Amino acid sequence: MIWKILLFILLVFVSIAGIAFPIVEKPSTWYEFPLIPGLEENAKIIFFHVPTAWLLVIAFLMSTIYSFRYLRSKNLDEDAKAYSAAQLGMVFSILATVTGAVWAKFAWGQFWSWDPRQTSIFAILLIYGALFALRSSIESEDKRATLSAVYSLIAFVTVPFFIFIMPRIMKGLHPGSADDTNSGPVVDFQMNSSMQLIFFLSLIGFTILYLWMWRVGYRSIIIRDKLNKQQIRG
Amino acid sequence: MNLEGLNNFFQNNAIYIVMIIVLIVWIGIFLYMLTLDKRLKSIEKELIGDKNEK
Repeated sequence: MIWKILLFILLVFVSIAGIAFPIVEKPSTWYEFPLIPGLEENAKIIFFHVPTAWLLVIAFLMSTIYSFRYLRSKNLDEDAKAYSAAQLGMVFSILATVTGAVWAKFAWGQFWSWDPRQTSIFAILLIYGALFALRSSIESEDKRATLSAVYSLIAFVTVPFFIFIMPRIMKGLHPGSADDTNSGPVVDFQMNSSMQLIFFLSLIGFTILYLWMWRVGYRSIIIRDKLNKQQIRG
Repeated sequence: MNLEGLNNFFQNNAIYIVMIIVLIVWIGIFLYMLTLDKRLKSIEKELIGDKNEK
């Protein structure tokens, strides 16, 4: 399939360009990144840190949408889709936390400092961690699907608050905090156009990769359930 | 081999070593996804075949 090859090339390009392009004070060609005061070389992790954070929101949002659809249709395939999205959301939250902690070590001096952003991702990890505990504690398929769908609807209510509101209204170290002088969304981060291009290519590439993983994830859950049922009947 | 030279080489080219590791990780994930996708497709085909037989 062509899109897989394109995805491969896209993320290879992002990895090579995002990591190896030099950071200079006054970029003169397209393959040079500007020097961002206070970040210097470690600004490059933005190509991997921001997409993971973006995908955790997308994944949890999709999990909620499919949970809602499950509650309306009671079709277990929708539950498989919601569950697969929630799993990936958890994976990307952990990745965002780890890449964020590594970045914090070099930009703020220590891995973990209970910055509002770090506190809120910790809360999200706990809230969605409970979803998996809930799922694994119920035997009956329909009951499990219904309860986890309701739980994930409620859990998603907290996501906009923890991701978009709390870290923006509180003082902190993360860009976009209330006392941040270059406040606002990520991209007015004094990037030049080539840095923005690679940033958005990275977002697109990671999003396609996520959709692919999600499709493989829910298809395998559906197949596993089918095979289990066949075994019981047989 | 000259250990100091090797050390210097790693120090001067650290960013390229990071790049190579990231590329290896990405190629690994990509190949894993490809094989998973293929295996899923073959199982799905088998399941559909089973239904037709019954």
